[in-house]
Amino acid sequence: MAADASAQITELTMDDHACLTFGEAEELFDLTAAFVRDGLDAGLKVMWLSDAGPGPAVAELTRRGIAVEPAMAAGQMTADGCEGRLLAGQVFSAEAAIGWLTRQLASSCELGFPGLRIAVDMSWALRPVTGIEHLPEFEEGIATVLAGTTASVLCQYDRDRFDPVTLASVAAFHTRSVAAATYHADPVLRICRQYAPPGIRIAGEIDYQAEEALALALAEAVRLDGDITLNMAPLAFIDGFCTRMVADTAKMLSSSRTVILQCQPEVAAGFARLGLGGLSGVRLVTIGEQ
Amino acid sequence: MSSDPGLSPAPPGAGTAVLEQAFDRDSLYALRAAVAAHAAAAGLPRQQVYDVVTAAHELAANAVRHGAGHGQLRLWADGQLLHCQVSDDGQDGQDAPGPGVAWSREHGHGLWIIDQVADHVTLDHDNGGTTVIITFTISRPS
Repeated sequence: MAADASAQITELTMDDHACLTFGEAEELFDLTAAFVRDGLDAGLKVMWLSDAGPGPAVAELTRRGIAVEPAMAAGQMTADGCEGRLLAGQVFSAEAAIGWLTRQLASSCELGFPGLRIAVDMSWALRPVTGIEHLPEFEEGIATVLAGTTASVLCQYDRDRFDPVTLASVAAFHTRSVAAATYHADPVLRICRQYAPPGIRIAGEIDYQAEEALALALAEAVRLDGDITLNMAPLAFIDGFCTRMVADTAKMLSSSRTVILQCQPEVAAGFARLGLGGLSGVRLVTIGEQ
Repeated sequence: MSSDPGLSPAPPGAGTAVLEQAFDRDSLYALRAAVAAHAAAAGLPRQQVYDVVTAAHELAANAVRHGAGHGQLRLWADGQLLHCQVSDDGQDGQDAPGPGVAWSREHGHGLWIIDQVADHVTLDHDNGGTTVIITFTISRPS
């Protein structure tokens, strides 16, 4: 089935074979954290084959509030690399990889899990690997294996490193395409949804000219359930106009839930000047603080 | 904001000019980058560099939004002081509300922020336009 439907990472369901494209590591880790979180919350077996390696992968998920280590200790979660699973040395075999996937489905059923979620960072395919021409065959095989099961696979492709031809060829085998909801993106500023913890992420420099995009992002963040994180850690500059927009939103929400503002000390000073430092319901977290 | 006459800016040209740059709506990012680089080179610590950039941006954005739509920024050092002058030559911006509104010190708005971060502010407004000079006492690391 062709990927003809864009979806939020939180909308994926059983037997989805989704294609996630990401532009930076933060986006990959954020979307993966949401995929893992929702899987663990549903009681599913969750696996992540990460290019970063098990240690950094677990650290990134943990940093986003996912209780990875207890889940790993309980056998509900694994974090591994692709070697020995999708790859044997520098050799890729679609048949062997599909065999590995089939065994994971069977194993999770035998262990009594109601379903399985596997996220696979496909960056290994960028390295010199024998048999890489069989990648489309592997993607097609995943769709066949997943049909009628309670398993889902999230294939993760770096949109800047994979060439458009490869992305187009593998996209056809996925049921869904997934990317972070983006409100604004240019070389100076990026505003996108953050999924784990829920909120928005603002990177670069922002001023009054981004009013419309910021207003939309804040409005959608307000509609999220529970506490909201406004991740401005990668934000190097915010002007008075946008500082007031963020502060007014935080003040509005602070009576009913907690708003967490993460930012550099210089940016935090601007929010503190507007009285957010000691406001109940607002946590102004300067980067480097715990 | 301080009214200490000792902080009154020396006339442009009295100190060492470190930056002269024109700006408009499309070049505010480049202006901020230039101000940050030159303020850091003048020896200001990180927080004060950010404060100078903030103040310069608010003045320039005010000129773009409520003044002529473009203007000129000049940055110069004079001993332990760093001065930043922003001038524009008119009130014909698209949403120009008149000088009283554009230069109000409403809480959280441009001039209010500048009052919070700068050590001295002078504002000169006439039919020829608006010129604002803000002054920072350079905080040297001890």
